[in-house]
Amino acid sequence: MNTFLTALFNGTSRGAIFALVALGLVLVWRGSGVVNFAQMGQAMFTTYIASTLIAHGNSYWIAFIVALIAGALLGGAVDLFVMRPLHKHSHSSLNATIPIIASLGILGVLQAAAGMFWAGEERGFPTPVNSLGLSISGKVMPFTAFDLFVVGVVLVVLVLTTIFFTRTGMGLAMRASALNEEVARLSGIKVHYMKVLSWMISGAASSLAGLLVTPATNLSPNSLDLILIIGFTAAVVGGLDSLPGAVIGGFALGLVISFVNVYLTPENVFLAILLTLVLVLIVRPQGIMGSKVGRRV
Amino acid sequence: MLKVSQLSTHYGSVKALHNLSFTAEQGKITTVIGANGAGKSTLLRTISALVKPESGSITWKGRELVGASPESIVRSGVAHVPEGHAVISQLTVEENIKLGSLFRRRKFASDISQATKEMFDLFPRLQERRTQLAGSLSGGERQMLAISRALVSRPEVLLLDEPSLGLAPLVVEQIIQSINDLCRKTGLTVLLVEQNANTALSVADHGVLLALGEVAADRPAAELMADTALRAAYLGY
Repeated sequence: MNTFLTALFNGTSRGAIFALVALGLVLVWRGSGVVNFAQMGQAMFTTYIASTLIAHGNSYWIAFIVALIAGALLGGAVDLFVMRPLHKHSHSSLNATIPIIASLGILGVLQAAAGMFWAGEERGFPTPVNSLGLSISGKVMPFTAFDLFVVGVVLVVLVLTTIFFTRTGMGLAMRASALNEEVARLSGIKVHYMKVLSWMISGAASSLAGLLVTPATNLSPNSLDLILIIGFTAAVVGGLDSLPGAVIGGFALGLVISFVNVYLTPENVFLAILLTLVLVLIVRPQGIMGSKVGRRV
Repeated sequence: MLKVSQLSTHYGSVKALHNLSFTAEQGKITTVIGANGAGKSTLLRTISALVKPESGSITWKGRELVGASPESIVRSGVAHVPEGHAVISQLTVEENIKLGSLFRRRKFASDISQATKEMFDLFPRLQERRTQLAGSLSGGERQMLAISRALVSRPEVLLLDEPSLGLAPLVVEQIIQSINDLCRKTGLTVLLVEQNANTALSVADHGVLLALGEVAADRPAAELMADTALRAAYLGY
């Protein structure tokens, strides 16, 4: 029973992080039609910034806030200085692949820069609360205070994002811009601003994911590569163009990974991820919540 | 008035509009008719800046529109309802209407609910379906919704592209009459592009006949309607 609970809580806490990563990918995909492979490279970079701030004696919370802001700015900068000029100057049939190659390029640049600035060796990253098994009235729980923190923070983010997209004018403008650019522009919506904004929110969300996952993975220029792959799988499982789908996909993969880890062996985790992806794509090719209509490719 | 002068637009190497000049009087309905491929939609898309013109000028009340972005043209009071019932099917009826009023939500917050109510008065069927997704509406309802999305921004000029496309005659009649009433009541300037010349000319004050991107005739609507030779030559009936 205790093993089961441990797997459940651990999976939920990991799943929350994957949900954030998938959310960031889906936001940019819907907003700009780009799969941003640089996303967790951006998060790695901002986590290094946070780590450096903490090493210089600042509190975790200051580093936390600065990393989120840096994530938003970095996301906006990728759109403004890389994606937009590329879009403006590309007229070939490769239009859809150019931004993807560019995002891989940005990933390479960020990893190389991190290696130069902070050297290549792995470093740890602190948690704001205890990450040992939480004990309540002498009984050790199958989850840690940090797990609770992760799930709590992610839930707050998800609730705020939902309110933003469904209850505010700007959220509606962003959804409209993503769904139909021409109708949005003809409604007087500044679609370009909405695109930058989606890159910024995505950047902040992935930066948060980086801060939350790094205590477990340690920090190095490549430490978040795997998280991107799992997050991308979660986004596809959820249905690439659906925000609720991304969240469901994230939690689902977190649980799959955690249960395979506990009940089978860690070596089987990747097989399980692949199997989940293949199964979902066979049963529902558009993903759990994805729209049936094919998107331009 | 809306003044188009010497307007030329290309699609790649294909010339869509050639030295086009005409004016649409303020508060009147001007219809642009012509066969398929005459450049009617391109004309509207050039006015609303979705397509960049090669040369020429478009002014509304003396202000130049060429060079401005589509969103700023809408914000300055020129609203465009493109061809094909342009609504966002994944959003609800209410959200689609709200889209058109978003840019006014700070300056004219108090007017938005009034403007929305007027849309529901104009097209009561939309009110009944306001929580439904636009994708679940019939063609006629979608057209009504697209027009409402444009009108809720309280434009001075409405560019209407083929509102009759694919709709039953009765629905077309209803939509055209609503636009006519609105124009007479509020002084809205309407530029109506239509392939269905009879319907368009029956409500319009003025008619512009396009053929292969050029103005073939520019006359009062009643005169165009009566000129059977011209109609036979350019519209085929």
